[in-house]
Amino acid sequence: MTAHRSEIAEGVRNFCIIAHIDHGKTTLSDRLLEMTRTIELRNMEDQALDAMDLERERGITIRMHPVTLSYPARDGKTYQLNLIDTPGHVDFSYEVSRSLAACEGAILIIDAAQGIEAQTLANYHLALEHDLTIIPVINKIDLPAADPERVMGEVEELLIMERSECILASAKNGVGIDEILEAIVHRIPPPKGHRDHLRALVFNAQFDSYRGVVAYVRVADGELHAGTKFMSMAHQRVFECTEVGIFAPHMQPTAKLDMGGVGYVIGNIKSLGEIDVGDTITGANDPAHVPLTGYRKAVPMVYCGLYPNEGAEYGALRDALEKLKLNDAAFTYEPETSVALGFGFRCGFLGLLHMEIVQERLERDYGLDLIATSPSVVFRVTRTDGTVEMIDNPSKLPATTLISMIEEPYVKATIITPPDYVGAIMEITQARRGELGNMEYLHDGRVIMTYEMPLIEVIIDYFDQLKSRTKGYASLDYDIIGYREGDLVKLEILLSGDVVDALSFIISRERAAARGRALAEKLKELIPRQMFEVPIQAAIGGKIVARETVTAMRKNVLAKCYGGDITRKRKLLEKQKAGKERMKRVGKVDLPQEAFMAVLRLGSE
Amino acid sequence: MTGIYVHLPFCPYICPYCDFAKWPHKESAARRYLEALHSELDAASSADSEHTVFLGGGTPNTYAPAAIADLLARIGAKFPVSQPREVTIEVNPELVSASALEIYAAAGVSRLSIGVQSFVETEIRTLGRRHDAGQVRTAVAAARSAGIASVSLDLMFAVPGQTKESWRSSLETAIALGPDHVSAYGLTVEDGTSYADWRAREPAAFADQDLEGDLYDVAIDTLEKAGFEHYEISNFARPGHRCAHNANYWANGEYIGFGVGAASYRNGVRSTHTRDLAAYVAAASRGLKIPDQSERLEGAQRAGEAVMLALRTAQGLSFAAFKERYGLNFLEYYASIVEPYRAAGLLEVDAAGARLTRRGRFVANDICATFITLP
Repeated sequence: MTAHRSEIAEGVRNFCIIAHIDHGKTTLSDRLLEMTRTIELRNMEDQALDAMDLERERGITIRMHPVTLSYPARDGKTYQLNLIDTPGHVDFSYEVSRSLAACEGAILIIDAAQGIEAQTLANYHLALEHDLTIIPVINKIDLPAADPERVMGEVEELLIMERSECILASAKNGVGIDEILEAIVHRIPPPKGHRDHLRALVFNAQFDSYRGVVAYVRVADGELHAGTKFMSMAHQRVFECTEVGIFAPHMQPTAKLDMGGVGYVIGNIKSLGEIDVGDTITGANDPAHVPLTGYRKAVPMVYCGLYPNEGAEYGALRDALEKLKLNDAAFTYEPETSVALGFGFRCGFLGLLHMEIVQERLERDYGLDLIATSPSVVFRVTRTDGTVEMIDNPSKLPATTLISMIEEPYVKATIITPPDYVGAIMEITQARRGELGNMEYLHDGRVIMTYEMPLIEVIIDYFDQLKSRTKGYASLDYDIIGYREGDLVKLEILLSGDVVDALSFIISRERAAARGRALAEKLKELIPRQMFEVPIQAAIGGKIVARETVTAMRKNVLAKCYGGDITRKRKLLEKQKAGKERMKRVGKVDLPQEAFMAVLRLGSE
Repeated sequence: MTGIYVHLPFCPYICPYCDFAKWPHKESAARRYLEALHSELDAASSADSEHTVFLGGGTPNTYAPAAIADLLARIGAKFPVSQPREVTIEVNPELVSASALEIYAAAGVSRLSIGVQSFVETEIRTLGRRHDAGQVRTAVAAARSAGIASVSLDLMFAVPGQTKESWRSSLETAIALGPDHVSAYGLTVEDGTSYADWRAREPAAFADQDLEGDLYDVAIDTLEKAGFEHYEISNFARPGHRCAHNANYWANGEYIGFGVGAASYRNGVRSTHTRDLAAYVAAASRGLKIPDQSERLEGAQRAGEAVMLALRTAQGLSFAAFKERYGLNFLEYYASIVEPYRAAGLLEVDAAGARLTRRGRFVANDICATFITLP
């Protein structure tokens, strides 16, 4: 390859849009589609790129959907602009990274009223790592609270960019869109590559039940067309390309995909197991030796058990997980068994939001009634005999006497907040074993704080606490920084004297007793009174640290049941029965689904 | 046996916990209603089987005694009354007079059900009622001298402000009056009543289930000690004084309701007349079909409802009758449900049938709900 001179795809620009959640990324994408007439105004549904209902409802983009815009620039030439949409939530930063690997430039959106947030910074640093040209866009200048001058100050201060590089825009009102399009053409460099020796980065893939896997690719070198025999470098499997095309915005077949271009490839790929997202595809007859780099593989960081409420739905759950997995490379699952809950699956997610989304989709799209256990992280456990294992389920933690060390994942958390909340943030973060690194005051008076803290503490209830203690003003981003040894213990919950494995979790010894008490109290609140008394105990290493009792149901009977009451009373009992059927029977105790997530709802201590 | 229920919905004043079909008494409205009721009765096809009669409300004795006597005559002409006859009228104690009771008795009333609720002054006022203990005493005595065979007092527990002591004193006062039957109802706060609004504002004013359980215990202990049989969840009777009309409901027997909001159960269909007074009067007085809501249950749903009703009673559910009527072997069909309750001492099972134990009655909803088959 090195023998060939690299060339430039002059008419192509590949870019993405990165932003903090709610700063207007999707609205700006929509405006770009409109302005370039990629979508006719009358066909324009708001937020065209967010394909899934769930995404639209939550106002977030989960899955990347590339789109090719044809833009006649002021210089008289028409450019092919490939926009790769990116997710805006911290859980999906690995997807941001995949998008970045397929681009030469990024539009960094900053809300003109809110200024730079933690996520903005995180994405900015990611973009810098990928050597992208960054175009800062200060959006929502139409807002009464907009203060572009201040925000430009922050750009200078935090992003070390010139104030003059900023474009002021209101995506909502279509202000600044022309200028952004021109900046894409003139500031972002065209792709560079070789005309032969096909290499293309698979930055996403969708599974289509009729056509198999549709791989979204960025062609780095060479070209792809129907009939090309190509190979996935990760799996060394060969496929024959049956169709290539671009998204405009819907799939549209083209004769070929050129060097530097972005589009899709179909080739009888039966499952996502045969080609990885992040994979490089190359020509089967003349394969490249070195795959493309520049993306971070998605590693699930948060695990929980998912169980069907009805044992009979196990098969349906497995089928649903299989289908979800086809379209969600980051999500993992494997069968597991719980004494309390029976047969289910241990599922891995990028973060809590990802977990909630998958659960919601399973319930909504597949009509499943699920029980989710408390989330956990992956602990690295070294046994006394020196063997090391990764534990993603607290109930699998070996006996204390067999453990010589437990390590847990740590994150570097970046928080941006108005100064009034610094005290509250310190309090809740230190209570969660956070160690303050840096604290810096910005020009606008806000404060950037960085902490190193255990991931488990972040996922349990930190984000909710942070939002509630700062009235929603603080923003948070975090990055995994590796494993550290911790003084950790397993907290077990016993109901009516039996350990309920699905309620166990691993926690720092220092906080275990207090958490155990809080959890026992919370469970007492959540577990309805039953026919029998239900003792609740929290135990650490077999020692009881907290005890509560749900007293037996004392009286629940309809006083009157005469001629006119019968139908109504029967319906009341039907409702009661239906409510009870939604609960999970563990031993002889009926537990509501929320009980399994109780640890997330403890609130402040 | 078929029950005949006639609803007389007018009241001298409205109680804040009541969610029956009822309206404050107005002469003209009450007259038009009675005429409509006559039309409905006239239009009904007569039957030969035996009937119990129950005049409920509302407050039936807001009508003049002669009107009641006339109504009973019309009913009796259509529906032969059972022997021994059971014709009940519900009355409010402050409107009862000795002469009225004479007229009732002459018209065939055999059973008087007096809405007392409490003998404790503060509780009576909390319940928004206006009688006093003396009026109840007078009414009971007058019923006796009129020759009414069975006198029942309705009492209520879990009234806001009530204590175990005050409840016991109401029960003891009631017993001292020598009634044949006592109904002891736990207060049920129904949606849409003033009480529901009160409870939403001030939940602590209302008894929790622990206090309610204690009060229910007091009722059972006190009444059983005084010689009353606890023959249904809320009903207590001296031997020979159980209410046959109500027992028919729990036996899943047939009944015909007349009047606004009245319910019927015939040929497997439960139906309830409209609760819209004007709509009822308009339809009934013209001899038109009275707007209603009805449902017909089949199979396991119907059987489950029958279990819910039978388990309210002391005699409980008879296996033979259940098999004959619903075609199901109770113990086989509900095996997985019955055994844990039996083992826990909530359900008593013998060769003839199953019934709730005393402890079981406290949680009858939870037990009965498990027998219900969801649609």
